[in-house]
Amino acid sequence: MKISKILDRIKANINEVIDYFNQPRTKLVWKKRLGEFFGKLFRMIILFGLCFVILFPIIQQISMALRAPQDVNNPAVIWIPENWSLMNLKISIVVLDYWRALLNTFQLSFISMLLQLFSTALAGYAFSRLRFRGSNILFIFVIITIVTPPQALSLAQFLYFRQTGLIGKQFSIYLMSGLGMGIRSGIFIYIFRQFFKGLPSELAESAQLDGASVFRTFWNIMLPNARGAIVTVGLFAFVWQWNDAYYVAIFDVSSEAFPLLTMQLINAAEGMYQALFYTGGLSLIGQNVWENPLFLALISNVSALLMMLPLLLMYLLVQKQFVESIERTGIVG
Amino acid sequence: MAELVKKINKAPISSGPRQYRKQKLIWAFVFLTPWILGLLIFFIIPFFRSLYFSFYTLEPTPDGIILTFNGFKNYFYALNQHVTSNTSFRVELINTTLDALINIPVLLIFSLFIAVLLNMKFRGRAFVRAIFFIPVILNSAAVTTALGGGDAIASILAEQGINQIFDLEFYLVQTGMMPWLITFIVGLIDRIYVVLSLAGVPILLFLASIQSVPKHLYEAAKIEGATGYETFWLITLPNVSPHIITVTVYALVDSFLTSPVSGIISQELGKSNRWGESAAMAWIYVSTIILILLLFAVFAKIFKIGGSHYEN
Repeated sequence: MKISKILDRIKANINEVIDYFNQPRTKLVWKKRLGEFFGKLFRMIILFGLCFVILFPIIQQISMALRAPQDVNNPAVIWIPENWSLMNLKISIVVLDYWRALLNTFQLSFISMLLQLFSTALAGYAFSRLRFRGSNILFIFVIITIVTPPQALSLAQFLYFRQTGLIGKQFSIYLMSGLGMGIRSGIFIYIFRQFFKGLPSELAESAQLDGASVFRTFWNIMLPNARGAIVTVGLFAFVWQWNDAYYVAIFDVSSEAFPLLTMQLINAAEGMYQALFYTGGLSLIGQNVWENPLFLALISNVSALLMMLPLLLMYLLVQKQFVESIERTGIVG
Repeated sequence: MAELVKKINKAPISSGPRQYRKQKLIWAFVFLTPWILGLLIFFIIPFFRSLYFSFYTLEPTPDGIILTFNGFKNYFYALNQHVTSNTSFRVELINTTLDALINIPVLLIFSLFIAVLLNMKFRGRAFVRAIFFIPVILNSAAVTTALGGGDAIASILAEQGINQIFDLEFYLVQTGMMPWLITFIVGLIDRIYVVLSLAGVPILLFLASIQSVPKHLYEAAKIEGATGYETFWLITLPNVSPHIITVTVYALVDSFLTSPVSGIISQELGKSNRWGESAAMAWIYVSTIILILLLFAVFAKIFKIGGSHYEN
């Protein structure tokens, strides 16, 4: 009795539900909702997956760095070390001559960043706001400097510096940066030009009416408004100089007296055993490292991590402004 | 310099727009001076000098460098004779060119796609964006060398049979897939990290250019009931396409810069008896890039990429 009643009810309800879904309006609404849901799901999976691909090696390296040397071959240890230890870090610091190299790299990157900002901001401003006949032709040269690979110029530049005795001195890098020919300066000029172009021209005009000179307009009005471009260019200039292994190698800037992180890292990676031997890192781990070649690879990885870590920390500090600056004005116009 | 500043500051400014234009011109040259000096000393002169050197044998002596003309010998050497312990200039050049031809279209599509995704509004967007620019920061030749463990360590590991922890190919073969499909999938996955590490700046450029598309176009499309798919093809893509050229140029130069070819040129530069050869290599390298760019330009012209969508 009762069961048949319930069945009847369900039948009536099913018809109602089918009717509801058969209405054209609800069909459309549900189609849209489903589409949106799958779109979101798809986007989430893609973005999450790629974030994972980016973060995975970094997390893995941090986990490996904190592992005690006897855990290196332990297949049971995948993520969380069984024995925590700072030994790997200690050895890497010795191998890289880390603190001195860090300080030198910081000094080189920071000064060259300031010089790059100076020369490229001025040129970018002149190309966007102080245009004159022929300035577009000059700008074509900026594009050419972007496209030409540094290898085509290095020999002649090297010979210059050899003649003037600047080979092996950091001043060679500063000179190039200060004259707007440093690492990818062309792109920076391009960014500044687009940025200054995007600022409202009323700003400059009202300053002119108030009697400000061209320089004051630039210095007191336009430059403070270009914070976004300054952050972007500053970050890139710093990072690219930090990571640079090309100019530094050709101009032979890194030396015993002035070690730089990139060159130390490359030298160490290419001859880890020798590096351990000469820097005295061997005494920290014992002579029998050859029994475990994975260990040498591990030290080389930890050294790479040590070089990236300051950049990552710095990026965390400025990342908000950096992402915002991309958002606020198109770098490309 | 200081006197010039004083003079310009003292100049009467209120004396009309003509005076102001003159002042602007003077300042334009003052602002451009460092760059023009750099262009002359570090770009134009080296550019022609290295072209000149590529036809000579250079011999450094204590009194200076002795130049002997040898025609195209350096170029022949670079293409036919140069070998290092495990590779040669010609092989690497061909590999890099083929890689670039495959990678760049993939890179363009990928970075445009990601830029569109990152431009959407969703929870945690700032966080995801911050992560996507990490490869830009960590993209360094030194780090790559160290992560590869250097040649010495890699060979030791290979000797002991520990070259790969997870062998994807092995698993796929066991599933009974077709061999060409397996090669394709493995190649694609190997490429993901390469593409990701090159994609940072292109994503940034595309993101910026998407954001410079006038907002009212999107609003109008929404009112007309366009779907996200239609909006992309009819509004985003045509407006972004001029920047495809910029991104292509950047990606091409970048992928060549980080390739073994540039490593070989630097190595040759390090040996003082091979300067002429290294100049010739550099010029082969530059002309390859220019050739590829021309190819892309012709391609773009045929398919009308980069032209404005609204003019016709």
